[in-house]
Amino acid sequence: MGYKEIFDSLGLRQWCGDVATKKEILSLDQLLAKAKGEQVPDRAWWDIPFPSLDNLHEACNTIPRTRDMVKGIENGFLYIKDYLKIVLDPLTQPLSWILDGSLYVLVNTPWWILIPLFLLLVQYISKSIKLSLFVLTVFVFLAFIDHYSFAIQTLSVIFVCTMLSVIFGIPIGILMSKSDRVQASAIPILDMLQTLPTFVYLIPLIFLFSVTESKLYGIAIILYAIVPVIRLTDLGIRLVDKDVLEAANAFGMKPSQKLVRVEIPLALPNIMAGINQTIMMALAMVVIASLVSAPGLGVLVLRGIRNLELGVGLVSGFCIVLIAVLLDRVSKAALKQINTSSQ
Amino acid sequence: MSKKTKISIKSLYKIFGHDPASVLQFAIDGMSKESLLEEHGHILGLRNIDIDMKEGDITVIMGLSGSGKSTLIRHLNRLIEPTSGKILIDDTDVMKMDGIELRKLRQSGMSMVFQKFALLPHRNVLDNAALAPSIRGDSVKHCHEEAMKWIERVGLKGFEYHYPHQLSGGMQQRVGLARALTSNSDVMLMDEAFSALDPLIRTDMQDLLLELQKDLRKTIIFITHDLDEALKIADHLVILKDGYVVQQDEPQHILLYPNDPYIEDFVSDINRARVLRVRSVMTKTNEKGKSKFESDIEEDDTLESVISKSDGETNLLYRVVRNGKMVGKLHMKDLVKSLVPRHASQAGVRSNVAS
Repeated sequence: MGYKEIFDSLGLRQWCGDVATKKEILSLDQLLAKAKGEQVPDRAWWDIPFPSLDNLHEACNTIPRTRDMVKGIENGFLYIKDYLKIVLDPLTQPLSWILDGSLYVLVNTPWWILIPLFLLLVQYISKSIKLSLFVLTVFVFLAFIDHYSFAIQTLSVIFVCTMLSVIFGIPIGILMSKSDRVQASAIPILDMLQTLPTFVYLIPLIFLFSVTESKLYGIAIILYAIVPVIRLTDLGIRLVDKDVLEAANAFGMKPSQKLVRVEIPLALPNIMAGINQTIMMALAMVVIASLVSAPGLGVLVLRGIRNLELGVGLVSGFCIVLIAVLLDRVSKAALKQINTSSQ
Repeated sequence: MSKKTKISIKSLYKIFGHDPASVLQFAIDGMSKESLLEEHGHILGLRNIDIDMKEGDITVIMGLSGSGKSTLIRHLNRLIEPTSGKILIDDTDVMKMDGIELRKLRQSGMSMVFQKFALLPHRNVLDNAALAPSIRGDSVKHCHEEAMKWIERVGLKGFEYHYPHQLSGGMQQRVGLARALTSNSDVMLMDEAFSALDPLIRTDMQDLLLELQKDLRKTIIFITHDLDEALKIADHLVILKDGYVVQQDEPQHILLYPNDPYIEDFVSDINRARVLRVRSVMTKTNEKGKSKFESDIEEDDTLESVISKSDGETNLLYRVVRNGKMVGKLHMKDLVKSLVPRHASQAGVRSNVAS
């Protein structure tokens, strides 16, 4: 008793083609058996295997093997790739320009201009001398051990990707908060983006764009990092006090006025929490994206792994931790500023 | 003097549920709230409401929680859409307004004060008070001038750059009041505006409202669950129960002639001497006759003040005057009698509600 008989009894033999005559070697088991000169023993009915593609193929030629299926998907992807490229390439080209431009500017600005500028920015955002001193210490340390330019590259990529995530994420979040249907269809996509192993993103992207283009890692980072800012914008706007919204309605606000004057300001603490998460996820991804030529500290980590240079890996890993703490502190300080001013 | 009717609600029904129109006829035919919920899964919010609100009056809508009073007030500016019925403001049907007209009505025709204040937490007092003109798109300077005027009027001068969370509840509601006044609307809706405040501050706010009303003569619709508050400020009192109007009249009249056991229970706990006024219990006459009057009292005096004037003596006769002219007489005996409710309730309102 096997799948062969089932196909026969269903009268599908014609459709399946005759398998009995074909003595093709399909699997390692059969190869081994043949090598040992054994006959493949007849299976008892309780040994019947799960009706997987491979097992069904054995009984019926027309059903493809799993490896044919995988090959088919690959061919399909390669087929549409060229057309996708025609559309996506020009659309995403600005991303390359922004990433490269930002890298060029930041790397070529002398350290004695850039570090004070960063400090001024941090001081302006956080209004905390202590935090500015911490940032200064980190930069001095990074520069002292000659990791300054790598760190700046990493920061440059994070800045650009976070900025774009915010620019696209907040409107998407607002749309989601306004319509339950948009929310219901967006949430599975967001879940997927968040749970997909980070390496898996890279596979289709590598085929779509060439590895030397900066937009490749730009897209990978943005797709990964945009999720929290979307989610928390949606949540923040949905959590806006219903009484205040009712008052806004009662005084005759237009929907656009409500959004700008009530909803976004009241959701701002949540949105800022989302931006903080987005920054941290961009940092996580920029390290992995060094596999596809993202510059920065990730390159050193990768070198450490590839060449088993333990010291290089450890030092650059520590630098990444420093950058992570720095970004987290600064963005949380900004969040705190917003919270105290709005309550 | 009969005042002009400013707002008129005509046979208004509101049913909550997935298809209110389908069960409307049952409600019109008088099916009870309970069976409507049990048999058709719809909740009756309001049933056959007819109220005329006069220009310049304070109309108080009173009822316990769940009686539909907050639902009712939200129909006036269509924050809630009725299932059927008409709402006329200055003879314009609110139900026929499109989005733009409705927004205009809310911006300049009607302002609202909320139980939970509902101020913008990220805006200071000045910006909060200036909300209505700023929505209309007036210049910032004009908005702030207008807002300052009313902030001073409600006694918040010096606090204009504070944020709501820095103010006490009473002060926040003053901002809410200033915000409503700044819109310069003829109609003000007050949804349990003072219910969240503690008793002393509540009394302050009631006095403030009455004082403002003396000058402004706005049409105010005031929601409350507190009978004392209702009797203090109402020109016209509407008592709501389970979504229908039990009785509506001048408050004095309701107090003396309650037409429903529910209201009798309600009013039985009231300090009648403080609420009732001489004009409601006096005998109307303008002939002096042979009676010997102890002295003159004003028709708007409360009974409490007359009692204190009589010093507990019950055998006195007073002459009641309006603007110096005699309009009636009042014997202390009648006064004392009126202090006892006609049917003193045995059970009290609470047991009635529980049943």
